[in-house]
Amino acid sequence: MQIFAKSVDDFKTDRKGISPPLPIYLRIVPMVFYLTIAASILLNGLFFVRYSQAGKNREMAMIRDKQVQADLAGARKERKDLENETKRASDIVAWLDASRPLQPLVVEVARSIDDDSSIVELRLDRDAENPAQIRFSMRLGSDTTRQLDVTLAKIAALRFRTFSPQQTMEKGAIDYKATLIWLDAARENAALAAPGS
Amino acid sequence: MTTRDILSVLNFSAFRPEPDDSTAAWKRRFPSKRSALISIGRATLIWRGVQRNGRLGEGDFLRGEPKELLGQAALPIKDAVDAGWCAVSLNTRYVISLETNLSRRPGSEEIIKSNPRSVLGARYERGKRYAVTHSPETNSSILVACDEENIRKTETMIKEAGLQLGRVFCGTYLLLRHALAQTNTAKGGDKPTSIFYVICCQGSVCAMVQDQDRWMELRSRTDVYEDTVDPALELLAPFKLRIPEESQIVLVCDNLLPEMAEGLERIFTGRKITDLSQADLLWTLAAQN
Repeated sequence: MQIFAKSVDDFKTDRKGISPPLPIYLRIVPMVFYLTIAASILLNGLFFVRYSQAGKNREMAMIRDKQVQADLAGARKERKDLENETKRASDIVAWLDASRPLQPLVVEVARSIDDDSSIVELRLDRDAENPAQIRFSMRLGSDTTRQLDVTLAKIAALRFRTFSPQQTMEKGAIDYKATLIWLDAARENAALAAPGS
Repeated sequence: MTTRDILSVLNFSAFRPEPDDSTAAWKRRFPSKRSALISIGRATLIWRGVQRNGRLGEGDFLRGEPKELLGQAALPIKDAVDAGWCAVSLNTRYVISLETNLSRRPGSEEIIKSNPRSVLGARYERGKRYAVTHSPETNSSILVACDEENIRKTETMIKEAGLQLGRVFCGTYLLLRHALAQTNTAKGGDKPTSIFYVICCQGSVCAMVQDQDRWMELRSRTDVYEDTVDPALELLAPFKLRIPEESQIVLVCDNLLPEMAEGLERIFTGRKITDLSQADLLWTLAAQN
């Protein structure tokens, strides 16, 4: 015969509404709840740390950006200054190139005059703003234009080109006016050597 | 669903039986909580605390009118428990008897609490509350009948003392069940045993004769002995002629009672006596089951 031990008999008056305990497997519900809370706290903490780090990184990036912008502005200013300086230097070079000495021109004009001709008046004007252009005006005492051609040939030999020439001839005198521009041989050669020119 | 229900799920209390759920073992009802076990006799009150780890704690033994004693002991009991929950062992106004041909419908041992008439039939008496243990081999059953008026009176006393009642049980019947479960362990009827059970529980005595797995006779008396066990031995002496010759004697007492074992040896000379008594056995069984 086998008699099993059983739970203790209870004689008390049972209270109404005694509910049996929930099944053990449903413990997963509060466990998941607490795990969710723990995970939320953990992830929020993690996100907060990352957010703080991101804020700091952003601030550092903004500082770097400002620094780079300042460096860039400085570089631009330096470049602009350099360009201005280059332009001034170029202008000076151009001015130096343009403002060639007039003495050889005057000497060559004077030597070109024959015995039967004379220079009544010779005027060379150069504008400070545009020194490459020389306003040339000459009054020759001559009956023919041969002297004028010889003089102009001498001027051309000195690599001066004439622009807007005006020539008037009166009795025994020739008035000639033109703008002379000196041509740099090195620049001409460079222009000729350039492709497509 | 109320907020209380949600909170009970979140603090896991919904997965534990309620403190007054009679279907659950006592230790499952109060995990990590202190409770108290009280034994109420006709003129005695014994109580013992159960600690959070399930071990027995402090207690007291008082003599006098139970109602007055409970009022006197209520304060130390409340100090020894967490929420005032206690279990009461009734040691008076109960009858344990041997019955035959009771209904053996499935679950009848549980149904008898809510619908005793369906199990007991004509043997049902109004004003009683019952518990039953059926013999698996014969048509015999051990029936406990407790006085309902006494139970209600006890419930009122406990409530008036500011305590909460989680269980009312019969200590003698619990020890008898324990003795039966400890000695009848062989499956089927291959090894029929003859045992004379002697149960002593705080002054009450119950004796049952089992002959070849058949329950033959059962006698139960309350408030038999107090300071000496001689009245109990006198009550048991007539069984010397009625128990089978090959029968052994199994003694189960609520506490260590060596003089009872010695007295039985004197009366039942030459018979094997197995003493299953342990210190605080009744309290241990009540706290564990």
